[in-house]
Amino acid sequence: MKTYLKLVLFLLTLSFASCEDVIDVDLQAGPSRLVIEASLDWEKGTTGSNQIIKLSKSTPYFDTTTNTSVTNASVRVINDDNNAEFIFTHQDNGEYTTTGFVPIINQSYTLEVIHEGETYTANETLTSVTDITEINQTKESGFDEEELEVNIIFTDPESEENYYLFKIQRQGDLLPFLGDWDDEFVNGNEITWWFEKEEDEDTDKIEAFMPGDIVDISFFGISEAFSNYIQILIEQSEGAGPFSTTPVPLRGNCINPTNPDNYAFGYFRLTQVVKTSYTFQ
Amino acid sequence: MKNLVLLFMLFTAVLSAQDNYTVSGIVKEAKNGETAFGASVFLKGTNIGSISNEYGFFSITAPKGTYTLVVTYMGFEDMSQEITLNQSQKVNFEIIEQSTQLDAVVVVAEETERASLKKPEMSVSKLNIKTVKQMPVVLGEVDIIKSLQMLPGVTKNGEGTGGFHVRGGAVDQNLVLLDEAIIYNTSHMLGFFSVFNADAIKDIKLYKGGIPARFGGRTSSVLDVRQKDGNSKNLSFTGGVGLISSRLAVEGPMFKNKGSFLIAGRSSYINLFLKAANEKNRLGFYDLNLKTNYSLNDNNKLYLSGYFGRDSFKFGKSFKSSYGNATGNLRWNHIFNDRLFSNLSLIYSKYDYDLEITDDEFDWISSINNYNIKYDLKYYASDRFKLDFGISGIYYDFDPGQVRPTSDTSPVNPLALDRKKAFESGLYVNAEHKVTDKLTVQYGLRYSGFRRLGGQAMTNYANNQPVVYNSALGIYQRGTEVGETAYKKGETIKDFGNLEPRASLAYQLNEFSSVKAGYSRVAQYIHLLSNTTSVTPLDVWTTSGKYIKPQLSNQYALGYFRNFRDKKYSLEIEGYYKTTDNRIDYIDGSNLIGQNTIETEILNGEARAYGLEFLVRKNEGRFTGWVSYTLSKAEQRTLGGTAGGPGINKGNWYNSSFDRTHDFSITGAYELNDKWVFGSNLVFQTGRPVTYPNGQYQYEGQSIASFSERNSDRLSAYHRLDISATYKPKRKPNSRWEGEWVFGVYNAYNRKNAASVSFTQNQDLGINEATRTAIFGMVPSVTYNFKF
Repeated sequence: MKTYLKLVLFLLTLSFASCEDVIDVDLQAGPSRLVIEASLDWEKGTTGSNQIIKLSKSTPYFDTTTNTSVTNASVRVINDDNNAEFIFTHQDNGEYTTTGFVPIINQSYTLEVIHEGETYTANETLTSVTDITEINQTKESGFDEEELEVNIIFTDPESEENYYLFKIQRQGDLLPFLGDWDDEFVNGNEITWWFEKEEDEDTDKIEAFMPGDIVDISFFGISEAFSNYIQILIEQSEGAGPFSTTPVPLRGNCINPTNPDNYAFGYFRLTQVVKTSYTFQ
Repeated sequence: MKNLVLLFMLFTAVLSAQDNYTVSGIVKEAKNGETAFGASVFLKGTNIGSISNEYGFFSITAPKGTYTLVVTYMGFEDMSQEITLNQSQKVNFEIIEQSTQLDAVVVVAEETERASLKKPEMSVSKLNIKTVKQMPVVLGEVDIIKSLQMLPGVTKNGEGTGGFHVRGGAVDQNLVLLDEAIIYNTSHMLGFFSVFNADAIKDIKLYKGGIPARFGGRTSSVLDVRQKDGNSKNLSFTGGVGLISSRLAVEGPMFKNKGSFLIAGRSSYINLFLKAANEKNRLGFYDLNLKTNYSLNDNNKLYLSGYFGRDSFKFGKSFKSSYGNATGNLRWNHIFNDRLFSNLSLIYSKYDYDLEITDDEFDWISSINNYNIKYDLKYYASDRFKLDFGISGIYYDFDPGQVRPTSDTSPVNPLALDRKKAFESGLYVNAEHKVTDKLTVQYGLRYSGFRRLGGQAMTNYANNQPVVYNSALGIYQRGTEVGETAYKKGETIKDFGNLEPRASLAYQLNEFSSVKAGYSRVAQYIHLLSNTTSVTPLDVWTTSGKYIKPQLSNQYALGYFRNFRDKKYSLEIEGYYKTTDNRIDYIDGSNLIGQNTIETEILNGEARAYGLEFLVRKNEGRFTGWVSYTLSKAEQRTLGGTAGGPGINKGNWYNSSFDRTHDFSITGAYELNDKWVFGSNLVFQTGRPVTYPNGQYQYEGQSIASFSERNSDRLSAYHRLDISATYKPKRKPNSRWEGEWVFGVYNAYNRKNAASVSFTQNQDLGINEATRTAIFGMVPSVTYNFKF
């Protein structure tokens, strides 16, 4: 709903906007922070025992340094009820892995990262996801009736509040697309969530979907807290028009109990995910 | 009421124990019978005078004697009449427009400069509708609100955004009245054009401070726009054809010359072009202004006015939206006697929008309705003492939103947010008191009350905290709901009352200069919820109540006013300091859309603004115009309060998004000859405060921007130059047809002023980019206006 209203305003603005160009802007440089990408996603139909946590450092906005990996941290996740401990060991490039993780729906877990003498912790509960009932393609659903879109169809469970994250990436594209959704206005109904790529007419660089394109689709069940986080993240990474919400410093759930100002970016999330792909006809 | 009136008369009889008589009457324009608001009527050679009110009425009381009664009104010939005051009498004036157009282009206070030095009224901007029509504008669409921005203390958040800001105030802190009816959204097309059709407007007055006691309900300003009454002499037509829209106004006498009417319409025709270009999208707007009046007799006159305006958009088959204002006002002017004037108004106004998402088969509607009754009286007690007093009541009915599936197959469930009802009352008295010939003081008091009415349940929260600071995560979150309290219809959920003193004084230093000072306190009970950079037509108003407190502002102003060279030039300098308590601020990630419990998304903050305004005007001659400069600061601060925690931006003061350090503009018109008039605007403004990233990190394979504190950066400076040329072909003899061509170039040197800067990752290259959106580049326009 919210997304809709925003989109409406965005499009209306665009219909007037006569000119967009890339400019140079001097920006402030905030402190460099530890970034914790602890996405423990349990793919349906697997054991979920292989998990990766990525650690890196934040950089100035226009910085093009690619090697920001944090390689000297110790990382572990604990099951809050039975105190089972999962040690994540550093592999390479800031990736910490385990092969023994035991995911349990609705179980809460604690993450602990120790880096350069500072301890970061986070707490989160594993959220389940419903099944995708159908994936198809149309031209009519999206904003542009000339372009193909992919429709992901599922039935929202009525008994609870549900929050979803979609990650869609066309094979060959550099960047994935993230979309969030919740059942606030559609609780218990069959939902069709569509995604299309708008042709960028100026540059011809962004191409709409074509027959033969393969898209990888991930459909996550997420917690309300993570939904609040990812919703802001997505909105802010889409860029700001005059009618977008004033951007805010985004706070995840990775805190630094002894030195609260030195919190970490990123999020410790535990989700269930359906992964699939679709080939456009 | 009658007793009250009697009491005032008794009271003022003491003040005027002399042998005094009163001359009263109405000032009208000879050409069309429009009443003149703000004409100066005075007895020559004395300091005794009066300013005609909104309905042209004046009343002067003076000792017995023989006088010359003079009327002066900018742009009109002075007029005078000998009178012998040995009894009270009526004198009506029909003033004649100056034949030369040279003085047409003037922006003046509503009286002669001579009087404006004396009147304690300050912080008022008035624009002559003729001036507005000659100023260069984008796409040739005459725009009152954009023209006001050329005066000190008034800004806008960039092109294509709704509303305006006065002295560091927010959009919802402006009370915008069209024939006394509240207009909730002043813009068409998201803010590209204003809702006021200049052909239907007689008078525009903006109170930036020193708000008179008869107004209340908004802390920042009052924009008082009055529609024309309609030509009572003969049937006439005014119209224009522009690039975006066309206008036509018809006015004429009615009811056997006992009244007149005005019907003005305006409609855009962008849709025709869109259709022609085979576009599936539609956008357009229209306006309809209506007014009629009827004189029952010399002492009783009725007015009926209305406004309907609407915008509509359609985006392919995906969605369509429409929104607009509708107002109506029935007024009864009654002159009790030559010293007591009254007006009773019954006013209705409405704003609503409808958004239909065709794809998902639902629509979303929201509206605000209000019914307003007002009774205002003015008692001209003596030459030295005038008294305004009155009462008002406004009943509000807010429908913050309803979701309605439009088909059986719609995936969306029906939903209705709680309707909110409230009653706002006002009672005021204000005196204008000439203490000495040099010192005039105005002092008044307004009592405002606000009652939030039941008929709904209100959520309760643990520890009475709708918002709670989560100190571990460092974020604000919704409080824990602990049931709700039901309020019956008619029951009061919460009620508020505020005393609002208003005072100002003018001290005349000498014949050509004066100093003025003012203080005003204003309470505001309804608030526009908007956490976006600029307000949008889809924003929703909410009321003060159980969790939201009324805004309360205090403003202090000091000014120096001077005329030069026989009033050819004038100078106004004003300084102001304003504080506002209980300004709503939004927690990070606040969700206002479809939100039934707004209190969980906001914190209670405060705002302050201060500045210095300079205005130099050239009022006469071939070249007329003004230079305006404002140096100002507008900040806000939001502490955690009952929610705990440090508040927003760590509880520090931060720039409001309408803070402009420098705001400089030049507006000029040059009349070359009878045929050609040239106009120009030059604007320079400090860029608007914005929030930019101060870092990036990798997440989900993307570069994510991390943002600085709110409004800690700025867009680059905004500047542009507009020019216009008006060509009036020679009129054919005996032809009533009067035409003119207005050619304009907006943003003549094609400055790409950023409306916003967006920070995104390039999808092909993966690098971070800053993308500027500029709304209007150089825009040429041509408009043809006619009158007959």
